[in-house]
Amino acid sequence: MKGYRKYFGKKIFWFILTFIAAVILNFILPRLMPADPVASITGKLAGGNADAQAVARIYEHYQEEFGTNLPMYQQFLRFCKNAIHGNFGLSFSQYPRSVSDIIGSAIGWTIALQLPAIIVGWLLGNILGALAAYIRKGFDKVLMPVSLFLSNVPAFGMAVVLLVIFGVYLKVAPISGGYAFDMIPHLSWDFIKSVISHYQLPFWSIVLVSIGGQAVGMRSMSIYELNADYVKYSRFLGIKDRKIVGYVFRNAMLPQVTGLALSIGTMIGGALVAEIIFSYPGLGSTMYAAVTAADYPLISATTLIITVMVLIVTFLLDIIYGFIDPRVKAAQVE
Amino acid sequence: MKNTLRQVFHSPKFVGGFVIFVAILLTMIIYPIFNPGNPLQQIGVGTFAKPGTYVSLYDATKAKTETFRLPEADENRLAASLTDEDRVAMIEYFNAMEIDISDLDMDDTDALLQLWEDNYDPSVRPKGMTGARVNYFKRLNNSLQDLKSGDTLVIAEEGEDGALVESKTITTTDYVNTNAVANVKSLPLGTDNFGRDVLKELVSATGTSIMIGLLAGTVATIIGLTFGLLAGYLGGFVDDLIMFITNIFTVIPGFVLLILISYSIGQEQRGAAVVATVIGLTGWTWTARSVRSQVISLRNRDHVNLSKLSGHSLGRIILTDILPYIASYVVMAFILQVSSGILAEAQLSLLGLGPRTTEVPTLGLMMNWAMLYSAHTNGSWWAYFPVILVITLISFSLNLMNTGLDQVFNPTLRD
Amino acid sequence: MKKLIALALAVVMVLGLSATAFADGDVVLPREETLYFCGQQWGAVNSWNPIGTNQNNSMAIAAGAGWRELMFETLYMWNVLDGKLYGLLANDDYAWNDDMTQLTFTIKDAAKWSDGSDVTAADVIRTFDVGVEIGNGTGSGYGPYIDSIEGEGKTVKINAKLNDDGQPINPLMILNFLELVAIAQADWIDQVYEANGGDATAILNDDGLNDAGELEVPYTGPYTMYFSDDQKVVLVRDDNYWGQDASMWGKLPVPKYIAHAMYADNAAGEVALKAGEVDVSQQFIGNVQNLWLEDGLPISTYYEEAPYGVCLTMPTAWYNMNMPVIAENPALRKAIAMAVDYDSIIANAMTNQSPSFADVPRSLMNPTEGEQALYDHDAVADLQWAGNDIDGANALLDEAGLVDTDGDGIREYNGENISLNAVCPNGWTDWQASMEQVAAAGKEIGVEITTLYPEADMYNTVFTDPDQTEYAIFMWSPDASSPSNPWSRVNQFMGMDYLGVTNNWSGNWGQYENPEADALIKKIPLTTDEAELKDLYTQLTEIYLTEVPSFSLMYRPSVFHAVNESVWTNFPYEGQTYTMGDGTEVLVPPADCTDGFGVAALYNLELVG
Repeated sequence: MKGYRKYFGKKIFWFILTFIAAVILNFILPRLMPADPVASITGKLAGGNADAQAVARIYEHYQEEFGTNLPMYQQFLRFCKNAIHGNFGLSFSQYPRSVSDIIGSAIGWTIALQLPAIIVGWLLGNILGALAAYIRKGFDKVLMPVSLFLSNVPAFGMAVVLLVIFGVYLKVAPISGGYAFDMIPHLSWDFIKSVISHYQLPFWSIVLVSIGGQAVGMRSMSIYELNADYVKYSRFLGIKDRKIVGYVFRNAMLPQVTGLALSIGTMIGGALVAEIIFSYPGLGSTMYAAVTAADYPLISATTLIITVMVLIVTFLLDIIYGFIDPRVKAAQVE
Repeated sequence: MKNTLRQVFHSPKFVGGFVIFVAILLTMIIYPIFNPGNPLQQIGVGTFAKPGTYVSLYDATKAKTETFRLPEADENRLAASLTDEDRVAMIEYFNAMEIDISDLDMDDTDALLQLWEDNYDPSVRPKGMTGARVNYFKRLNNSLQDLKSGDTLVIAEEGEDGALVESKTITTTDYVNTNAVANVKSLPLGTDNFGRDVLKELVSATGTSIMIGLLAGTVATIIGLTFGLLAGYLGGFVDDLIMFITNIFTVIPGFVLLILISYSIGQEQRGAAVVATVIGLTGWTWTARSVRSQVISLRNRDHVNLSKLSGHSLGRIILTDILPYIASYVVMAFILQVSSGILAEAQLSLLGLGPRTTEVPTLGLMMNWAMLYSAHTNGSWWAYFPVILVITLISFSLNLMNTGLDQVFNPTLRD
Repeated sequence: MKKLIALALAVVMVLGLSATAFADGDVVLPREETLYFCGQQWGAVNSWNPIGTNQNNSMAIAAGAGWRELMFETLYMWNVLDGKLYGLLANDDYAWNDDMTQLTFTIKDAAKWSDGSDVTAADVIRTFDVGVEIGNGTGSGYGPYIDSIEGEGKTVKINAKLNDDGQPINPLMILNFLELVAIAQADWIDQVYEANGGDATAILNDDGLNDAGELEVPYTGPYTMYFSDDQKVVLVRDDNYWGQDASMWGKLPVPKYIAHAMYADNAAGEVALKAGEVDVSQQFIGNVQNLWLEDGLPISTYYEEAPYGVCLTMPTAWYNMNMPVIAENPALRKAIAMAVDYDSIIANAMTNQSPSFADVPRSLMNPTEGEQALYDHDAVADLQWAGNDIDGANALLDEAGLVDTDGDGIREYNGENISLNAVCPNGWTDWQASMEQVAAAGKEIGVEITTLYPEADMYNTVFTDPDQTEYAIFMWSPDASSPSNPWSRVNQFMGMDYLGVTNNWSGNWGQYENPEADALIKKIPLTTDEAELKDLYTQLTEIYLTEVPSFSLMYRPSVFHAVNESVWTNFPYEGQTYTMGDGTEVLVPPADCTDGFGVAALYNLELVG
């Protein structure tokens, strides 16, 4: 047990350190961008005001409101203090909307789009990969190159091709927005149907690309396991094929589960392109808009969310692996 | 070594990928020989000319003609000016104008045209008819006028006194051999929004993008390899520190980091090489991780320990006792880095954060301009689809090679 | 499985959304009662405050080809086609006194606020006064020209600010006030003023809503806020609208709802237009004719043929006079302008939705007939250029002694290679394409020109800075059409009022200094004699074409207008008129169905079939 304590203690220490460094980077990087968003807001607010003093007054007002007149380290402390309370300040580009409000209205869309897409892509991919490894022959010969090809279609390429074929030519699915153009959000079957129909294209564009990658990975892992000594030994012992296959795929799944967990962790950054191309109202679009408008409170907050999610997932994985993977156990003893 | 190569080239997957990749490279080298010139030159005035072969109309009128009496010619000509849809539309117009058409046969072209000529009035806007429809009838009327204009066209040139002098007449049975026309331009993929030859641009862009991929891959592999070797071999605090840095780069996803850095650099500084370097600088983490885990499994092997005992320097041990064992692995990682570098450039450019536009075409920039000009929604497939296809093919061929290599070096994966 | 997950998530999300949604009214907008727009609103509306400045409310508080008259109305409506003002809140009776120091008009008896109270002189006075006090667009835009507004009941008198000679500074700008300033209610202004303790910045930032997100601000227009989130904004008709009185429209506008979905980009809006989900598009659509020629869609524009729309302004490349090489070499300025291939710009960037410079020779005027008649074409014909004149440009440079002495292909000035950049915001595709052409022209004449596309926010910060030396050639559009044009535009091209002004969004962005031109410009607002006016404009055109402080790249509408007639029809088309109460026919401009007199289109609309 002492080994575990030491192992986890060390892990936690590095995690906390990583977290702090990541928060600092999240804060600093966007602020290195060359634009001056306060000047830009001032320009908007001052309209055609030619009175230099009046403009300077407005500028100072906003500097104070956003705290951009403070030294960087004080801004950082302010940012941390507020962030703990879930307050990421006000957005520059959508002023006076608060960052939390913007993220709140976008994050639901992203999760609703991504989570099912990742899970479905993962499930289908792994099933196909496992089948390919098990059946081999013709199925594998066709499936393997097709999967590899699909997984190499760039995400934006898949999105554009789906958009053109199903949205523009066949007109079977809407290509932009989160719900129908003639609706106002409300609770009804029609609205839900509309949400789902707007959901199809971005959904499939993510699923199709991920199926390929997952299938290729699962196939390799399965073949690797099928050729492993324990399989030969089991066969030699006369254990039923079905049972062996069960073991094989369970073992082959392990790295795939890691992959699933990681892609759930990174899902916000992952769907950037699909969201942008389909004008989907999620966090990816939000972040992209924030970057182009140099809206760094918004950028910091979105990247922070991604960071925290990835950290949590990797941390949990590490902990779980620590308990279940004998190789990690061995490492602790060392 | 020779043996390894032979093995590698026996892998059908590797060979498949290799052939595709070499084919792309060869096209890149050979095509410009046949179609030289600046790929960014704007040959077309106007946007998105369709793929096809363009014959100079001016030169065609000067070329020697042959006379062919083709039975289907008149029919084709009529069909081009007056479609079945147009016939239905004409009936719609007559109805809207409340004209009696009870004894009209829609297929009787002459009668239809006569009735049209008698009744069409461009100045009247029938009640309830949309503006778009009114305009449609005006265009239809113009095209019907052409139909009526007879079998000959007269070419006239301006004489010395400014009067027009007839220089040639063209009849419906005149044909010109395309070889006899002085200027024929073949544009297999049409032109883009700037009026550039898409195929020429695509070939040149593929070259640039592969260079970007190679540079990005090299940068990423060198950093990843160095960090991985040091972390894996030395262990302890160095390992912790390097893994710490690696972790930071992992928790802030590479692509997000890439966007932020590209934006901060500003477009003025963003040449293709800079973009490639930035991509490399943000993409090395997983190479480092995998190299590290490989090295960890190697570092306690006997031959390494022997070297250590013999007092060999760190550099020598790494170079002679470790690197050769992971070389195949590094090559595979490099291939994947190249492929993801090409993809990263394309995605960055698509978001408007790619290299400066005026100097060299890249696959991402072509995609970006096509999307900015709505090529995907206005049916100009030639401006974006070949780009997607090329990116996919490059990436596919590299990954195929990689899988092939994997199977050669990891016998357990063999089919 | 996937369907189940999708469904479950959709339900959760809908529950979340509907928690914030509202209860009464249509939740599915009836297609045949709703007019859909695109190309105006790109993000969630953040304010409904007509005297505030921090707002992006393009449907309710904005101006395009005139003020957008849907919710907050102006005194008069501007018609870009005939260049006349038509009474809206006010009667058609505005009149100057003899020395043009005072303008008098009356407000319509029928004009009422949404709360039922009368629109009176007090509202106009308070709108102006508070503007001056808090420094919003009204204050800063008209404060320099209007001394005070007085009046009682329905009669309003605007007193012009006078110069040292006792003449009004600029009567034209006072006419602009009539059509560009939406009137806010005096009582409401007092309320907002008190609630914010008189703090200017707080008032400018007030969003016009109460804490529950309900509209607090009274309005006079035919529409009001119905729904607004980050995907959509919807206005609903106010059936108590005062304008159904016979003294105004005599009826209500046809569509019950005005809706605008937020599209991510032009392409998304274009697809929606094609699909019939948008009726009126204010987006630039490349090769718009293909929508009907090739796709056979029921889409039309104002004119059937190119340029398809009414071009009212000219996006212009400005030379930065803070840079000595530019300021000291008029020949360089002219040579670059002569070498640019405008036909390519117009064909590629504008896909021919602009007249060419051969059709409408360059001057200070937009291509409308009214403005074109304001200068003597023959007098300046020798000075005009149509572009792509490489030989001419090279000769001009050689003559001016700007030659390449070190043989690197680039000409030098004072021993240094002439190297400039050509800049416009990233993502503004037609401008970017134009800058590419300017750079290409540089190559032909031995001047190094590189393009640069910073993000819009950064661009705005730099180009409005009067001391900047970062951008050598950069783009911005001058004024389009208003009562004060072409004077305003000419003033933007060469006026010295804007020299050294910080945060200069107003004009003369290149900081060009020419006292002679400035003196001529100053005379125009007070000149009423037509021949004299023409002479002044001709002289100014001569100076402009000789000195080339900037050069226009194309002509462009101030709002684009493409309509899909799947549901609605009888949108403005060439020659279409609106019949006024007194039976006169007035041309309806293609002003997005909302701007200035263009709002009359909403009363002309009919359902298809």
